[in-house]
This record gives sequence, C-alpha cells and structure tokens, in this order.
Amino acid sequence: MESTLEETTESGTPENQIVRAIGIERFYGEGEAEVRALDGVDVTFEKGIYTSIMGPSGSGKSTLMHILAGLDRPTAGTVEIDGVDITGLDDGDLTELRRDKLGFVFQFFNLLPVLTAEENILLPLSIAGKTPDREWVDLVIDRVGLDDRRTHRPSELSGGQQQRVAVARALVTKPAVLFADEPTGNLDSKSSEDVLQLLRAARDEFGQTVIVVTHEPDAAAHGDRLIALRDGHLVHDAPPVSADAVIELLKTLA
Amino acid sequence: MLSLNLKNLWARKWRSAMTAIAVILGIALVAGTYVLTDTTTQAFDEIFVKSLEGTDVAITAKSEVDQEDGSTPSLPAKYLERVRRVSGVELAAGTVFTPGAILDSEGDSTGGGFSPQFISSTLPEELESLDYVEGTVPSGAHQASLDKAAAERSDLGLGDSISLVGTGEAQPFRLVGLTELGGASFGGTSIAQVTLPVAQQLAGKQGEFDQISVSASPAVSPEELRDRISEVLPKSVRVETGTENAERNADDIREGLSFLTIALLAFAGIALFVGSFVIFNVFSITVAQRTREFGMLRTLGASRRQILRTVLFESFVVGLLGSVAGIFVGLGLAQGLSTILKAVGAELPANSLVVLPRTIIVSLLIGVCITLISSLIPALRSTRVPPIAALSETIAVGGRNRVLLRSILSALLTVVGLALIAEVLINGSSGGSAALRMGAGAICVLVAISIFSPQLVRPAASAVGAPLERAGGLTGQLARENSQRNPSRTAVTAAALMIGLALVSFVTVFASGLSSSVDKVIEQNFKGEIVLQSSGGFLDFPSNAVTVASGVDGVQAASGQRFGMAAVDGENTSVSSIQPATAAEVVTFDWNQGSDQNLTLLEDDQAIISEGLADSQGVGPGDRIAVQSQRGAEREFEVTAVVAPGTLDLTGELIVTQETIESFFGFDADSSALVKTAPGADVDQVQDRIKDKLEKPFPTVDVLNQQELKDTQQDQINTLLYMIYVLLALAVVVSLVGIVVTLILSIHERTRELGMLRAVGMSRRQIRRMVRYEAVITAVLGAGAGLIIGVLFAFLLGIPLEEDGFALSYPIPTLIVILILTALAGVVAAIYPARKASRLDVLEAISYE
Ligand SMILES: Nc1ncnc2c1ncn2[C@@H]1O[C@H](COP(=O)(O)OP(=O)(O)OP(=O)(O)O)[C@@H](O)[C@H]1O
Ligand SMILES: [Mg+2]
Repeated sequence: MESTLEETTESGTPENQIVRAIGIERFYGEGEAEVRALDGVDVTFEKGIYTSIMGPSGSGKSTLMHILAGLDRPTAGTVEIDGVDITGLDDGDLTELRRDKLGFVFQFFNLLPVLTAEENILLPLSIAGKTPDREWVDLVIDRVGLDDRRTHRPSELSGGQQQRVAVARALVTKPAVLFADEPTGNLDSKSSEDVLQLLRAARDEFGQTVIVVTHEPDAAAHGDRLIALRDGHLVHDAPPVSADAVIELLKTLA
Repeated sequence: MLSLNLKNLWARKWRSAMTAIAVILGIALVAGTYVLTDTTTQAFDEIFVKSLEGTDVAITAKSEVDQEDGSTPSLPAKYLERVRRVSGVELAAGTVFTPGAILDSEGDSTGGGFSPQFISSTLPEELESLDYVEGTVPSGAHQASLDKAAAERSDLGLGDSISLVGTGEAQPFRLVGLTELGGASFGGTSIAQVTLPVAQQLAGKQGEFDQISVSASPAVSPEELRDRISEVLPKSVRVETGTENAERNADDIREGLSFLTIALLAFAGIALFVGSFVIFNVFSITVAQRTREFGMLRTLGASRRQILRTVLFESFVVGLLGSVAGIFVGLGLAQGLSTILKAVGAELPANSLVVLPRTIIVSLLIGVCITLISSLIPALRSTRVPPIAALSETIAVGGRNRVLLRSILSALLTVVGLALIAEVLINGSSGGSAALRMGAGAICVLVAISIFSPQLVRPAASAVGAPLERAGGLTGQLARENSQRNPSRTAVTAAALMIGLALVSFVTVFASGLSSSVDKVIEQNFKGEIVLQSSGGFLDFPSNAVTVASGVDGVQAASGQRFGMAAVDGENTSVSSIQPATAAEVVTFDWNQGSDQNLTLLEDDQAIISEGLADSQGVGPGDRIAVQSQRGAEREFEVTAVVAPGTLDLTGELIVTQETIESFFGFDADSSALVKTAPGADVDQVQDRIKDKLEKPFPTVDVLNQQELKDTQQDQINTLLYMIYVLLALAVVVSLVGIVVTLILSIHERTRELGMLRAVGMSRRQIRRMVRYEAVITAVLGAGAGLIIGVLFAFLLGIPLEEDGFALSYPIPTLIVILILTALAGVVAAIYPARKASRLDVLEAISYE
C-alpha cells in the first residue's frame, strides 16, 4: 500500500492552512543509542478538517503531536501555527499560544481533582482571566451531556465522563486546533465511542479543526483524513475509505 | 533488604537532607549549649585554681543569706593576727576583693554592661596569683594595675590614668602594671589591683578583709593547717584548703550557669519539638507516596515487620546524620551564642571549645530518638498497606481520618494541660518544678490543638484564602484548594509554625505588659522627678552621691534606697531601706495598713512589711518580727505598717531605715535614689545641675528624668526580648523548612496536574503565584493560631501576677507586624518550591508516570 503515499503532503490554499510542519526531525540520545523518533516529516493541516494519526507503537505519533502543539521542540525543521513560526518562541509566548489557540485532550489525567467539572471546563478561561461566554459554555456543556454533573468533582465522575469534561474544556476556548492523544486509550468501547463522536461533532457542528492520535480504526474511518507513521516517517496520507481498509493499512505497517 | 533500603534512601537524598535540617538545628542548640557552658565552666575552674596558686588555706566569712549579686560579708582584720600565730603558718595575708568600677581617662568603663569589674589588693609575692606581664606591682597610694585583656579592650597602657570607684568618690590612679592570670581568660570581666590600704579605703572596708590567704610551712599539709586554724576562729568564719575553696567557687559558678544551660536547652527542646512535626509530616507524605511500592513488596512476600524496618531504618539514618551534622553546627553555634552574650555585654570567659563525651552522646541519643519517635506513626501506617495497593490506580493517602478519636484525644490533652497550668497558677508556686509543670501543660495544649487542627484547616484556609482568591482569582482559588486537599498535612505544617509563633507572641505580650507596668509604677509611685541609678542600672552606687545631690540648687529632697537579702524564719526575704526624713517627699506607696506618714516616722528598730510577708508570718502593725542578717546576726523589728502589693518590686518585703540596713544588714551602697525638685524649679535645669555635680566624683551614676528611666527599663526588657526572639527564631526556621519540604513533596505529587495546567495555558508566573499563595495560607494559618494561643497564654499567666502590679497590655501593632512578617516568610519559603514547580518540563510532566 506504499502507493497511497501521496507525492505532496501540501494541501489546501495557504490561507486555509492552520498548522504547517516542514522537515521535522526529532532525535533522542546520541551515537549508538540514537533514536530517530521523527525522521523528516512534512505535513500541513487545514482549517475545519478532522485528521486521525495512526501507526504502530513507537512510530512517533505522540512525538509529532507534541511538536505540532509546541509542547516539544524539534531537533530540526519548523512548525507554523496560524502563520507564526513557533519553533523559535520562548516559554512565555508558547504559553500564550497554548492558552489562546490550542486545545488538548490527553489520555489520562486531564482534570484537576480539586475543581468541579464546570470549573475544570472553565479552567483555560480562568487562567487567561477571560470572562466566559455563558451561552457558548452552556452549549458546550450541554453538548457533552454533562449538564447535571457541573458541580461534581472528577473523583465523582466515570472515566468516560471525565474525558468528556476534558473535551468540553478543550472546546470552550474555541481553539484554532484541538489536539487529542489517544483520548480513549483508557476507556471501554461505549465510552470511547461517545468521546470520539464528540470530537467529530465538534468538527461537524462548530467547524473545529481536530487532530487526534488514535488506535480505533472505526473512528479513523469517519474522519476527513488519515495520516499514518512508521519509524518516524510519514507513510500514508489520504482520506479514509472504510474501517476495513484502515485495518488493512495498519496490518501492513505493523 | 539493606541494599534496597540504602538505594531508596539515596534516591530520596534531598528530601532526607531537608528532613535532617529539622534535627540539625535543634541538636545544634543542644550541643552548642553544652559546649558553651562546659567551655565557660572549664575557664572558671581554671580561674579559681590559678587564683589560689600558692594559697594552702583560704579564710572567708560565711554568708548566712545568699545575696543576688553573690557578694559575701567581710572579715574583721584582727583575725589575721590570730591566724599568723597558728603553728605551721608560713605566711598569711589579708586581701580585699570587691566589685567596683574601672574607668579609663574618658570615664568609660573597661568592661561590658553585665560584666563584673573587681578591685583587689596586692598580696605578698608568694601568695600573689596574678602575673605582672608588664610594669610593676602597685606600691603607692595612686598606683594601680589592670588585667591585660581589659587594658587592650580600652586601649590603655602603662602610665595612663584610670579611675577606680568603690563605695565613695572616684579616685584617679596611674597604671603601673598589666597582669595576667597564667593565661586564663576572664571574658568581659576586668580586675584592677591596688595596695591593701588603698583597696580597703576604696571598698569602705577599713579594718576588714574579704579573705585571708595562708601558705603552709613545708612540714604541714593544707588539711592539717586548715583544722588548726579553724580552732582559733569563730564558727561564722569559713576555713578551707585552697583546693576546697576553688571547688566551692567553681560549684557556685556551675550552679549559676545551670540556669543558662536550662534556659538554652529549653529553646533547643522547642526547636526539636517543632522539628518532630516536620519529620512526622515528611515521613507521612513519603509513606503515602510509596503506598504502591509497599504493596508491591508485600505481593513479593515482604512481611509487615520488614516494611516497618524499611521506614524506621530510613528515619534512623536521617536522625543519625542530622545529629552528627547538628553537633558540628553546634560548635559554631556555641561561638555564635558567646558572641551574642558578648554583644549584650555579658562576655563569658573561654579558652578553647570544650567538647565532652557527654555532649556527643546526649546529642546523638536525642536526635536519633526524636526522629524515630516522630516517624513511628507513619511507619506503622506503612505496615497497614495491603498487597492489593500495588495494583490500584489511585494512591490512597494517609490513614483513616478518625474524627472521633482525634476529638477525644485532643479534648483529653487540653483538660490535662489546662489542669497542669491552673494548678501552678492557683497554688502560685514558683521555681523549677512549677515551670516544668507549666511547660508540660503548654505542650499538652499545643499537641491537643495540633491533633485537632486538621478539622479546622478547611474553614480556616477558606477564611485566610478569601483575600488571596479575590486578589489572585484562579491561582488564589487553586492555592486554597490545594491547602485544603490534605488537611492533616497542612495542619501539621502550620502547627509547627504555630508553636514558634505562640511563644513569640507570648513573650511579646508579656514584655509589653512588663514595660507598661513599670511605666505605671513610675508614674504613680514616683513623686521625685529625677532618678539616680548606676550606669546600666544593675549595680549599686556610692551613697554619697545622694548627699551631694541634695545640696544642689533647686532640689527639695533626695532620698536613696538600698536593697539586699535577709532571712525571716529561714526563708530568704528581700529587704530594702528608705531615708525616713525624705522618703515621703519622693515616693508614695500603696498602703494596706498605714500611710505615707509611716515612712517619715520609721525608726531604726522598726520595719514596714509587705502584705505577703504579713500574711505568711501572721504579723501586723504593733507585732514584732525576727530577721536574720547575711552575717548571721538576728534582731527583732517592730512592724509599723503594711504595704499593699501592686508596685512590682519597688520595695523589698521588709523596709527598714538606711541606718539599719547599713549597720545591721551590712549594705552600704545605694541601689537607686529619687530627687524631688523644689516648687517652681525647672526639672531639666535641676537635672543638668545634678549631672554637673555628680559627673566627676561619681562617674558611674546616671541622672535620669522619669522618661529616661522608662526608656532604660524598656531597653533592658527589649534586650532580653530580642535574645529570646533570636533563640525562638531557630524553631521558626525549622517550621519554615517544614513548609519548604512539604511544598516540594506536594509539588512532586502534583507533577501531572502542573503539567496539565501548563499545557492549557497557565504561565510560569501563575504557577509560581499559586505555590506562593499556598505557602502564605499555611504560614498565616500557623501564625494566626500561634498568635491567638500566645496571647491567651499570656492572659492566663498574667492573672496571678496582677496583684504584684503586673498588668497586661496588648501590643496590637507589633502582633500585626509579626503576622505580616510570617506571611512574608511564607513567601520566602515558597521561593524554591515555586521555582521548581514553574520549571517543570510540560512534556515530562504530562508523560510522567
Ligand atoms: N523522552 C524520550 N527519550 C528517548 N526516547 C524517546 C523519548 N520519547 C519518545 N522516545 C522514543 O521515540 C519513539 C517515538 O515515541 P512516541 O511516544 O512518539 O511513539 P508513539 O507513536 O506515540 O507510540 P504509542 O502508540 O506507544 O504511544 C519511540 O521509539 C520512543 O522510544
Ligand atoms: Mg503515544
């Protein structure tokens, strides 16, 4: 299936591009022990597109996401978000970037145990000292189905509910890009389904740009675009066809 | 398991090192105290041994009543002839050794404020212990020598003029010799030598000696000679061999120093007590964080005993290393303490630092035991971790919160503590055992509060955090939530600070009460506008000064007062004197039975007594009371009036005439004098005129107006207060270290949370502020509780003192400043943890397992 690798990973018009990564390399260690987590990756993401990133364990998915989100710095290459080169930014600017333009959902430990669900959702706004847009907040909370859980603490919520709070938190700032790294890795299949559906709905209903690392072929099949990594290289980039095709693809990569 | 234990310890070396600080500081004070007092004792031993070199037998007068200044009565000179006639006496000579003042040509003292100065007489060469390292032995009426250290301190050399003050006017002398006592250090003390007749005249001891020194002929042993001499002298005279005399003097010093030892050890105890809270906290947190590890060990077959040993081993090593480090720090501290004492004018003699095996053993024992005891509860808790804990996702923190048990235990301790305190207060007993019971009571109450405090953390932190939340918004809220997240952790951290702050506020309130009470007595009972006292206020001064002052233009009356100790019914009783002719004009007493007229009418065989003495002896006006003097003589006085309490120690319990206190009790110098100015006279001008008149003949007398007197009293109280502050600072520092460690451990625990916060846009500055606020909340909780408890204790202790004229006053601004300073200390304590938290690598934090 090497043939599915497109000649160019450039897509869309420049003004439509929200994330641009060029020649990304990320090496760990030195000499014999050197690990090339990413070995020359060029990739661009468009506004309003739902992208799934797949690949075997250790292929560099998390590393790529961290670099795209400015959480990690590449060994070489540049990342632009909304036209701004972020590889040269200092900690303060990166913090501001994350605060204003990015949303995150991690695999676990998304929430502060001392805050209620609603407070957790509003956390990014509180950090930024912004007054929440009540209508939007209510809409988001309603959409993730947590209206009756607002005052609960994370310890009083199920894993799936906790992840839905995390999604709501990521959406509440209307970020330019929402990153999620295996957001369902810790959940049963029903809860996984709920969370992934939410992420897709964010794209469908709000036009939210979503980049999600996932191992669920079903979820990937419903996205706009599927990227696959192997050994730090981009080996597949195309709209998904069907769940079965995705499973086939994964088999060839493994 | 040992290698695993060691690896574990190494992995937590920073945490362990911080924990050790809790032991180090307390042990340093323990070791430092011993080193300081041992060094001082050793130096005094050397002084006494060296000063009696060549003296086989020493003859002194017995003191039937111990005086507060340690002075003893003198011997009649006629005994010398009797001693010389005893067979086996090679040489016998009388000497005078009397407290006095040694001033340089500018009139400045050659010693520090509290350091005694002595005038002594020269002895025949065979008996003389001082070595003349420069110049010659004084031989004329105007020659004197001085110890070399004092001369160097005051930049004096041979040929310079100095003046000596005994019981009369200052007299000029030329410095002809510099002395040393075989290389022994005197500390801040200085000694001047003059010829015997000059010394007797300076001390007002014509025809008297303070000691007769005797050397034995070669054929007679000192003991034999001592027995022979005793036979020819009356029982009131003490005859000792040189060695016995040196030992007795050294014992007296040891006894005097034991107060210092106990006081310093008490502060060490406080620091260690506070340290035990810190140790408890660190081990509790560590055990909680290692729950999964312990569970894993249990699944692998480790027994409870092995788990217990793992934790206790760690605490043993921490305690041992902390104590060893503490001993070394203690050596430095001993130096530091003697520097502080020197700074306040009480330099102690010292040669090289003395480290006895006892110092090391006691320090190690205390340090290790305290660490083990403090970590016992967390250690026992670790044994209750079930193997299943290895598999559980969430880490169970700490033990169960047994509210009922806590409440009962703390209620019980409070009752016991309050009972102990109340018992002392009601029975009004004083002395060491009372202080011990009082301290035990206070510790009970403090521990009770600490045990119960987790229950209070939630509401209290909400209250303290409210302004921070208003100021800091989210960071304030998170800080408050974090401090409430683990109430017992916050409670123990705050409680450690609470103890130090309780003591700080207690002494602050007490000292302020003392100052204002003194002020009140001065305002209400001093009719005289001007006061004479010796510079520094601790020594007596020549009584002629009052006579001179009364002759000054514009003075209506000047009246002196003397103080000393006598005995009534075998009990030490303070005695003071008045000058009947003038007393009523300068002072007013609060009378129980009698009036100020009784002052004027007091005769030499009469006495006015305090209400306390009247009660204990069951006597009143018209009755007779038998009093024993220091020399052992007994005499009956007719009681004419009874003074009400309520004027602090303005008078002794027994008030007699000036004539009586000199002739019968043997006190010939004034402690203070009051001057009443003539109507219409300008007080300032009169004060200046008195100063002019007294300056030359009586350079050691200060002429103060009432305000200046209040100020000097205040200064003295403050000096003591600051010394206590310095010593308490140790305990406060330990509790601040507690805040630092607890914060670092909590941050470590919350690594992922912090990473997540950073990922969703929290800036480093916000993270720092959050940590800082948490520290401030903890600090203010501790300080607030401490202030309340300290003020309460001061209030309780002030009640029984009220009838002595002690009235509490509450220095609110000072207390507020203390609270603010503690909050700032919290900010300082948070600097490092906040930095650490803000520097966390976001990526590492979110992928942190
Ligand atoms: N901090 C690090 N130090 C050294 N090597 C690292 C580090 N982080 C990642 N790697 C290596 O980089 C490679 C890519 O890791 P990455 O976490 O991106 O994989 P992944 O595709 O997310 O895998 P998974 O599906 O298991 O999460 C792996 O070989 C990993 O061992
Ligand atoms: Mg990954």
